Amino acid sequence: MTIGLRLFISSAVFSIVIAVAYWFVAHEPAGTFLLGFMAFALTFLAGYMIVAEREADLWGDDGAATGQDAAGEVVGTYSISSPLPLWSAAALASIGLGLVISPAIAAMGAIAALALGALFIVQSR
Amino acid sequence: MSAQAALRPAAPRADLLSWLTTTDHKRIGILYLTTSLFYFGVAGLLAVAIRTQLSRPANTFVDAHTYAQLFTLHGTAMIFLFVAPFALGLANFLLPLQIGAPDMAFPRLNATSYWLFLFGGLIVFSGAATNEGAAANGWTSYAPLSEIKISTGLGQDLWIVGVFLVSVATILTAINFVTTVFVYRAPGMTMWRIPIFTWEMVATSLLIFMAFPALAADLLLLFVDRHLGGHAFDPAGGGSPILYQHLFWFFGHPEVYVMILPYFGVISEIIPVFSRKPIFGYTGLVLAAFAIAGLSMGVWAHHMFTTGAVDDPFFSFMSFLIAVPTGVKFFNWIGTMWRGSISFATPMLFSLGFLLNFLLGGITGVMVASPPIDFQAHQSYFIVAHMHYVLGGGSLFAIFAALFFWWPKMFGRKLNEGLGKLCFWLLFIGFNVTFLPMHVMGLEGMPRRVFTYPDTGHLALLNAIATAGSYVMVAGVLVFVWNVVVSAFDREPVGPDPWHANSLEWATSSPPPEYNFDRLPPIRSERPVFDARHPELKPDATQ
Repeated sequence: MTIGLRLFISSAVFSIVIAVAYWFVAHEPAGTFLLGFMAFALTFLAGYMIVAEREADLWGDDGAATGQDAAGEVVGTYSISSPLPLWSAAALASIGLGLVISPAIAAMGAIAALALGALFIVQSR
Repeated sequence: MSAQAALRPAAPRADLLSWLTTTDHKRIGILYLTTSLFYFGVAGLLAVAIRTQLSRPANTFVDAHTYAQLFTLHGTAMIFLFVAPFALGLANFLLPLQIGAPDMAFPRLNATSYWLFLFGGLIVFSGAATNEGAAANGWTSYAPLSEIKISTGLGQDLWIVGVFLVSVATILTAINFVTTVFVYRAPGMTMWRIPIFTWEMVATSLLIFMAFPALAADLLLLFVDRHLGGHAFDPAGGGSPILYQHLFWFFGHPEVYVMILPYFGVISEIIPVFSRKPIFGYTGLVLAAFAIAGLSMGVWAHHMFTTGAVDDPFFSFMSFLIAVPTGVKFFNWIGTMWRGSISFATPMLFSLGFLLNFLLGGITGVMVASPPIDFQAHQSYFIVAHMHYVLGGGSLFAIFAALFFWWPKMFGRKLNEGLGKLCFWLLFIGFNVTFLPMHVMGLEGMPRRVFTYPDTGHLALLNAIATAGSYVMVAGVLVFVWNVVVSAFDREPVGPDPWHANSLEWATSSPPPEYNFDRLPPIRSERPVFDARHPELKPDATQ
């Protein structure tokens, strides 16, 4: 079992314990719900990690590996630059701003977001 | 030839478009750091205005409503736009370098997070340009004060939208950090070999996962209350203002640790370098970080002791418990320095300043974790002093330590040491002159968030001293700015490892090339660069 998996499982167990303890001590619904939801989310993450780890074979987990061992392996695809992050953030900010200032700004943001979504679909083909 | 010497400096691409479209984690990190320092400058000016108003009783420098906007924007900027985002920026720059990765796991998501943070901050501040002014309900924006019936202005709405965008940006960044550390470590970089700063960022990211959605939900509900006829926090409609506080502090207290755990990591990197020793108790430091993170999720309602609506003993007990892992960390840092060959370069001075100030903030934190004391100190200047010793004396000093320590790695030039030491002493003296008297002000009964006060007891004298201290702090910050200007003209490159440090970022050129490493040294411990410098002490590969 990797450290990452142990981390998520122990976090999930801790959050379940604290949520149950809080309910029995305080009988307070809002805090119990928040702690319970946290426990649920962490348990879900731990479960995902268990499944994902079966597929994983990471060089970083091999304490005796060197850079030469991993030579030639594709680590990932990294874009050096992209206009999409600024575009998507501006679209989201426009939607938020438009909700309180003017529907026209929100509409512009929504159009920009839709165009962005279309671009992603085209790029992913 | 060593691995370090074989690397070449990055070819600079300085055009504006390349910065606007960059997905390089180092550039995004520098953008984060620059933006958060800009917000720090604005928030600092607001603080000077606050202190000027309070410099004497019945002062008329600003009126009550303006004062409320000042402390709201000051608190919001320092917490949401400076201390926490600075850590995210630093981690953006350092984290892939420290684990030997070419970039973040999701570079475009990373850039999106930065832009959301920038726009969120600008939207918060844009409230000041509206007719009714900016939000004026403190950085907590408690309901029902922030409900539409009381806060009718657009400033409050802009605050909600801006802080919401920042919270989304923070969650996205945390996803990036955790994925990068778990998946993109270099060959040999096992989890028990990653630097303490990276460990602290993993713990911080977990806290962000758990805490920030509560803030986002709180803000959404407040927005629904204000504009869509909701009554979640409106008692007249059957809602509960206490629910707002639960949601807010379920985020708000872990946020304190989001603002401090990264800086525990910063000084855990700096102290061993300037003590010429390995970190004392690596495993203990890591476990203590996760103990603090876990416990911090169960203490939120110690901010609500005086509401009478929470279980005081439960939250008091949990709050006291946090002192234990924090104490473990202090012993680790002292143990690292013990019998070390300590040198007092500027990053080390700021780290020592962090230890002294944070210790005081921590002790007063233990005091107010006790409900009887909290009932006395709540909403007074004692709390203002406590939180500033934690986040100003703690985080701020670690931020300056980080700037001086990693500046050569970011820009290939060192900051001037003489000016750095002057900056430290001005900030250290100014900080303590400003905030130490606030403990006494609070105990003498001065409430926080008031724009004036009566001339009773020692309040006039103590406030005058605190204001003078704040001006000394401004002088310290100006010396830092001057240091940056002076150092920009320094053409002497520093090389990959000017401090003779330990972790992997010092194995590459300063500044690092795109994709970070031309060649990685073997990683056989948590100090791969030290191992490369001292092959005679090389640890066994199987350790």
